[in-house]
Amino acid sequence: MTKKSPNQIADDLLRPLFQTSWRFFAAVGILGTFVVAAFATFGYQMYTGIGVWGIRRPVFWAFDITNFVFWIGISHAGTLISAILRLANATWRRPVTRCAEVITVFALSIGAMFPIIHLGRPWLAFWLIPYGSERGIWPNFRSPLVWDFFAINTYLIGSVAFLTLPILPDWALVRDKAAGWRKRVYSILALGWRGTPKQWNRLESAMHIMAIAIIPVAVSVHTIVSWDFAMAPVPMWHSTIFGPYFVAGAIFSGIAGLIIAMAALRRFLHLEEYLLPIHFDNLGKLLLMMSLLWFYFVFAERLTVWYGNEPSEMAVFWTTQRGAFAPLFWTMVACNFLIPFPILAIKKLRTITGTVIASLGVVVGMWLERFLIIVPSLARKYSPYSWGSYQPTWVEITLMVGTFAGMVLLYTLFSKAVPIISIWELKVGLQKELEVRSQKPVASGQLPETRYSGQPAADNQLAD
Amino acid sequence: MEPKPQKKWGMVVDLDRCTGCEACVVACHAENNIPTVGEKEAAIGRAMHWIRVERYYEGEFPDVRVKFMPVFCQQCDAAPCEPVCPTFASYHTDEGLNGQVYNRCIGTRYCANACPYNVRFFNFYNPVWEKPLHLQLNPDVSVREVGVMEKCTFCVQRIKAAEIQAKADKRELKDGEVQPACAQTCAPKALVFGDLNDPNSEVSRLARSNRATRLLEELGTKPKVIYLQRESWHDEEKS
Amino acid sequence: MKKKGKAIYGLYHDPDAAQRAVDALREAKVEARDITIISSEPFEGYEFGRLDHHTPMPWLAALGGLVGGLSGFLLATLTQRAYPLATGGMPIVTLWANGIVTYELTMLGAILATLFTLLVAARLPDWRTKIYDPAVSEGKILVGVVNLQEDSRVEIERRLRDAGAEGTKEVARI
Repeated sequence: MTKKSPNQIADDLLRPLFQTSWRFFAAVGILGTFVVAAFATFGYQMYTGIGVWGIRRPVFWAFDITNFVFWIGISHAGTLISAILRLANATWRRPVTRCAEVITVFALSIGAMFPIIHLGRPWLAFWLIPYGSERGIWPNFRSPLVWDFFAINTYLIGSVAFLTLPILPDWALVRDKAAGWRKRVYSILALGWRGTPKQWNRLESAMHIMAIAIIPVAVSVHTIVSWDFAMAPVPMWHSTIFGPYFVAGAIFSGIAGLIIAMAALRRFLHLEEYLLPIHFDNLGKLLLMMSLLWFYFVFAERLTVWYGNEPSEMAVFWTTQRGAFAPLFWTMVACNFLIPFPILAIKKLRTITGTVIASLGVVVGMWLERFLIIVPSLARKYSPYSWGSYQPTWVEITLMVGTFAGMVLLYTLFSKAVPIISIWELKVGLQKELEVRSQKPVASGQLPETRYSGQPAADNQLAD
Repeated sequence: MEPKPQKKWGMVVDLDRCTGCEACVVACHAENNIPTVGEKEAAIGRAMHWIRVERYYEGEFPDVRVKFMPVFCQQCDAAPCEPVCPTFASYHTDEGLNGQVYNRCIGTRYCANACPYNVRFFNFYNPVWEKPLHLQLNPDVSVREVGVMEKCTFCVQRIKAAEIQAKADKRELKDGEVQPACAQTCAPKALVFGDLNDPNSEVSRLARSNRATRLLEELGTKPKVIYLQRESWHDEEKS
Repeated sequence: MKKKGKAIYGLYHDPDAAQRAVDALREAKVEARDITIISSEPFEGYEFGRLDHHTPMPWLAALGGLVGGLSGFLLATLTQRAYPLATGGMPIVTLWANGIVTYELTMLGAILATLFTLLVAARLPDWRTKIYDPAVSEGKILVGVVNLQEDSRVEIERRLRDAGAEGTKEVARI
């Protein structure tokens, strides 16, 4: 592990901004094609009607809302890692926070598009905005969809602020090191940030308040999304467990998404000396904990339903466990628990590769979980005469693939414009580490032999 | 003189009279400009029959009976489809109907998911009436566009027309004056429509029968459609 | 509004030297608001890094939350009363449900108040020419004096050099 000076760190982390290979343009081209295809497909759908999807009576929501809940769930990565670890003063978070916060902003933006995409008349989506319309009507504040509107917008604004505020000093850094058009652009973006003690103090105060505020917002967002289901008298939807169940599932899928993103960044941006095995190990332990928690929630819910033996609920229960949806159900259990558990529990297997495999499984499993919450309940709703089924069409699949491509594309573009690891926060981490070692306040670049070794100090040594 | 109580429209369906002829389904299509979706769409379950006749087989051969159950919007007093609509397209009128305002509907389809009776229908495409069927469209009822939810309205256009006429004539509505298309067409008179707040109406009288039951009552939706049926077909041997 | 005048600053290799420089400037009776310190990372362990520490930001965030919450509650309740539409056998004003919108706008108010306070307190955005040196991004700490009076210029420059500046620079028209 080579030891690096703060200026070397800055150079490493700024390299993606200043150097671009053909691979970047190839990636943007391919991903962009999928995204454009998705947009075109949406245009076709808007013109022709929702009929081009596979939904039908009684399964009126399927891929659309599955994707919506899935992406909102992924967006809970940033909050957990950034806010909770900031408040807990966990120092290993420093290289990871910005990667996580970026996932939140983009996943949330994508997720927030789905309520518009799934509308029968999407051009009227603005009626959800509370304004004194000439129709003499306001939105229905009793509807969970209107709660969604407020919750998701609050979370989006909060996440964007949480992400962009600590970027300002790094943009100032780029401004100072860049030349030509880059200098002009980053001068504007940096908003004239200089780095006076007052500015640093205010920034850190703001980050602290935001970290405290964003956690209850994130919890409320996914709770409210879960209430889209729980507030309807549909068998196995109308359950009080949905709020906590969804929040736990969101954090679960979010951590998995973060691990995959970090592994990709490590590989493609050559960040092997910054995103270390210890980070994946720590996140892997968190993922293990969430996997157990997920299993607990699913077990508790299903056991309760089984004991309740209520006919309409049992119809849904059996169709997932033994009936038409059983293959998907058991795949989900394997992907969310049976496969990740041994990989993450056994230290020898909890390597970067291991955690990435487990995370890929979790991402697939959690998508299936959303699908299996929505579709089987609707397909087996009360009167057997009205039971139905569902099959996706190419339109829904194209839209879904487009969103995955869009997420990767946005991430790629972001890491080209902004250092994906927070440089100033790494410097602060270095400084604090050296303070502990020398037992007095010290600058990060003062002593020539103290360099960034890549090993975060043990937490019990640090007195922040 | 005491003011007459607000109307509370309800319907009684006598399952012991229903023959399953489905004339009510056809009449409803004709009256309410409901499109026929075509064979392919109907096969995947997108048919739009505001009233449908459900068919159940009861018992084992040779003791088999077929039960026909017309199901349509139950106009619930505690309708689960109403609070979930973000734009108030589904709301409760003061005459007890579950109103569906097509112009407010943006097509979230939440109401259809919330409805336990599966009586809400979505316009997956723009409806098409091939010539000369377009000549048969009812001018009193709007034609819905793609992306809008619709369902049985108890023929609210007929209710409104009768109320307007009664007001012009300066008289009260008579029981039986308003007939939704299905009730009007039903040959065995299995469908009876009227004001449940009027204790003397036919509907109220029938609702007090000892054969009366409601669908999915345990969900607390307070449906205003009362089904009359004997406890079991075998009762007729006992009686 | 600051009048445009002269400024002088020195660049320092480490925070100890920067602290010496700040102390020296204070001894020379330079006004606190004329001393400028710029660094590429916060130095909470040093006295100069803790200047201007006190901020009413948490109180303003709480105030923002209060305003937001009140707005949310009024938005839901007053609009429900203004256009009463019955749904699902529920009352026209549903306090439990309105509580959710109230809560979300409370949090939004707190977040926006924090954001606004940060921008105002940190004087962002501000693209006007101000005392700065790109060497700060190489890890140097800038300590300088704005509103430089001609008679104290030599003294201040001497003090900056004595504290260990790697170089001093005079800037006109800040």
